[in-house]
Amino acid sequence: MVGDVTDEALKATKIKQFLSVLAGRYFNWAGRKSLFTLHLGIKCCAIEMAAAATPRFDGDRFGVLFRSSPRQSDVLLVNGPISKKFADKIVRLWEQMPEPKYCIAMGECAISGGPYFQSYNILEGVDTVIPVDVYIPGCPPRPEALIDGFGLLREKIIRIGAAPSSGRKGDKPIIVGED
Amino acid sequence: MAQMWITMGPQHPMTHGLWTLRVKVDGETVVDTEAELGYIHRGVEKIAEARDFTQITPYCDRLCYVSAMTWANSYIYAAEDLLEVEVPERAEYVRLIAAECQRLASHLMWLGAYGPDIGSLTLMTWCMRDREMFLDLLQELGGSRMHYNYPRVGGIKRDIPVGFADRLIAKVKLFEHRIDEYEMMLDESTIWLVRLQGVGYAKAEDMVNAGVSGPNIRAAGVNYDVRWAHPYSVYDQVDWEPAVEKPTSVKGADCYDRYRVRMEEMRQSCRMILDAIEKIPGGKNTNYANGDEMILAKAPTRAPEGASGFSHYECTRGASQFYIQGGGDGRGKNPYRLSIRSPMFITIPYVAKTMIGYKVADIPAIMGSFDPCIGETDR
Amino acid sequence: MRITNEQADTAAQAAVEVITGRFGGANVTASVEHHANALKMAFVRVHVPPQHWTALAKHLRFDLGVNYCSMVTGTHYPEGGADRGWEVVYHFMRQPVEDQAPHTNTVHIAEALKGDAIPLEFEIVITLPQGDTPSVPSVQNIWVGADWNEKETWDLVGIQFDGHENMHRVLNPHDSPDGFHPLQKQHKIRYHDFNEMYDDAQGFGRKPTDEGRVK
Repeated sequence: MVGDVTDEALKATKIKQFLSVLAGRYFNWAGRKSLFTLHLGIKCCAIEMAAAATPRFDGDRFGVLFRSSPRQSDVLLVNGPISKKFADKIVRLWEQMPEPKYCIAMGECAISGGPYFQSYNILEGVDTVIPVDVYIPGCPPRPEALIDGFGLLREKIIRIGAAPSSGRKGDKPIIVGED
Repeated sequence: MAQMWITMGPQHPMTHGLWTLRVKVDGETVVDTEAELGYIHRGVEKIAEARDFTQITPYCDRLCYVSAMTWANSYIYAAEDLLEVEVPERAEYVRLIAAECQRLASHLMWLGAYGPDIGSLTLMTWCMRDREMFLDLLQELGGSRMHYNYPRVGGIKRDIPVGFADRLIAKVKLFEHRIDEYEMMLDESTIWLVRLQGVGYAKAEDMVNAGVSGPNIRAAGVNYDVRWAHPYSVYDQVDWEPAVEKPTSVKGADCYDRYRVRMEEMRQSCRMILDAIEKIPGGKNTNYANGDEMILAKAPTRAPEGASGFSHYECTRGASQFYIQGGGDGRGKNPYRLSIRSPMFITIPYVAKTMIGYKVADIPAIMGSFDPCIGETDR
Repeated sequence: MRITNEQADTAAQAAVEVITGRFGGANVTASVEHHANALKMAFVRVHVPPQHWTALAKHLRFDLGVNYCSMVTGTHYPEGGADRGWEVVYHFMRQPVEDQAPHTNTVHIAEALKGDAIPLEFEIVITLPQGDTPSVPSVQNIWVGADWNEKETWDLVGIQFDGHENMHRVLNPHDSPDGFHPLQKQHKIRYHDFNEMYDDAQGFGRKPTDEGRVK
């Protein structure tokens, strides 16, 4: 089932944790400014994500590059509501991403269902199916807010290290805009 | 060689949205296709049955998010048909200006997403840069870059700000030169021509029978446009013509014709905006207070049972239609049934069949030339 | 340039006369209506019982030149009385669009269009009695554009379309339960009772068993 931790994964997790303590600080310092984001556009926030990659806001100078394959990306940026048809597929995308991986919920629909919280077909937030690290509120959030969200994710990476995502359940997520 | 089905799944950089296109290929040639939609089906028609008429406008913005103002306008005209409201003329002019600014922003988004499909990443940066000009103008009107919630039943939320007219005219005039730049780069580029010409033929009568409308029909040689055929705003008072192309082949319009018709539409929108801002009743430098009768008419908030209203509207991607039946909630404050017609819901299965016979590499070119937007498809 | 009110009135009047002349005795009522907003253009509204729908559809398509199927709407009236349990409303348009020879195009001048070339909107209303299996003959073979519209109407409202090939779910997931058609009135939206929503707006009161569950 989704979220279950098998014995092999637990062992691998422990080895990873050991290695990450040794090499962790350097690894995080190097990796935090090179966040490859999955090229996934669900709904309106995807247009603001595209706008954040374009000349006026230019996310590329912060190391945010879009990759087409989940096998090659670090960050899953969820930018729209998750319908029942897509829930299974977004979990599969999340599982295909190699560790260390992070999830950013962008926009109201990904945080809590947004304006469609009453719908029969929309999940009340992507955090019902995958663990989220950073929430960026807004409908849609401005591209500056998205870039700020990436900045907060960088700070979080330094803080928590390369902990596997299944071990991060108890960690409090960051919400953009809260000080 | 064996034939096999390939899934261009929901997460794919070329599909302009979340839908699945399954193609059956024989080597490099496409033999059959199947489209699957519904990955962002939000049930807006059901949610609308629990909302007031004013509360539905933000939902309509989010239907086709690239072209939000035209969809909000489309809903508002149907609501005004249901509630029997007359809109003041100044409000109609401002709606026209806002809708045409949105059409420019939407066509730029189309071109900016189409360029990378063909291989021109430069085009994405250029188009998004110019789109920001129009998003700033729309932000002055509606308050947000993308979802404005601007029209109200009976008029508009607030009037054009002081100085808006000067900024509008300056930006539109600058943009007309930018269109020349795009055409200079693209119209004689060998790669662009080779990838777009001779690909994706679609005939006019086939398209109309399949329910396709908008620029895709005008590319096939007929200047049919809802703005003059079922007129709704002050389009007959401003100076414009529908952009129409001559199809290059007896097989219909190809991708190059559809690209050219959208470039010409951008020019016509610029022309309309510059004319409308001069002709606006009340002057372009005056700003009326919110709720003033020049921009907002008093409108009833309830529709009795048995009343219904519908209206066709020329959205960026085709002809959209809202059909609303009144009498919901027992007292008529909510619609009993709100039905939304999305041009792309009908066009995408048609486009999937158009791709048969071409190469796999032509799929993004054909798909992008019809300008899909999945938000409105999956309402 | 625009289609004038007179042109629309003339076209609507002519269409109503043709339909009434052909189907008048079969409980088919056609009338000229006007929009209540904007420029108050005319359109044609026809009420037809389901058994005559196929004949009327063919007449519209081949004799009146109605070539564009815009939308199919299904509505559920659980409290509409014995005669009105379901309603299927079709919207069509007649568009003056023809195939073009290469390197030519047609630039219509709106005010110069006459007769059958004048664009016109049609609204066809089919009322079905109360019951659990509302069904209407399919017009999939007459207008290609009706195909996916009918699939959507069945998917969301539950109206059967007799003779429709390859009916499948288009918007709801394919594994939705049989008989689940969300726009029927017995299905309520989540938090439909506002008290439930305002008492616990942030979901703090979610039970532990609900943690992580897909709602």
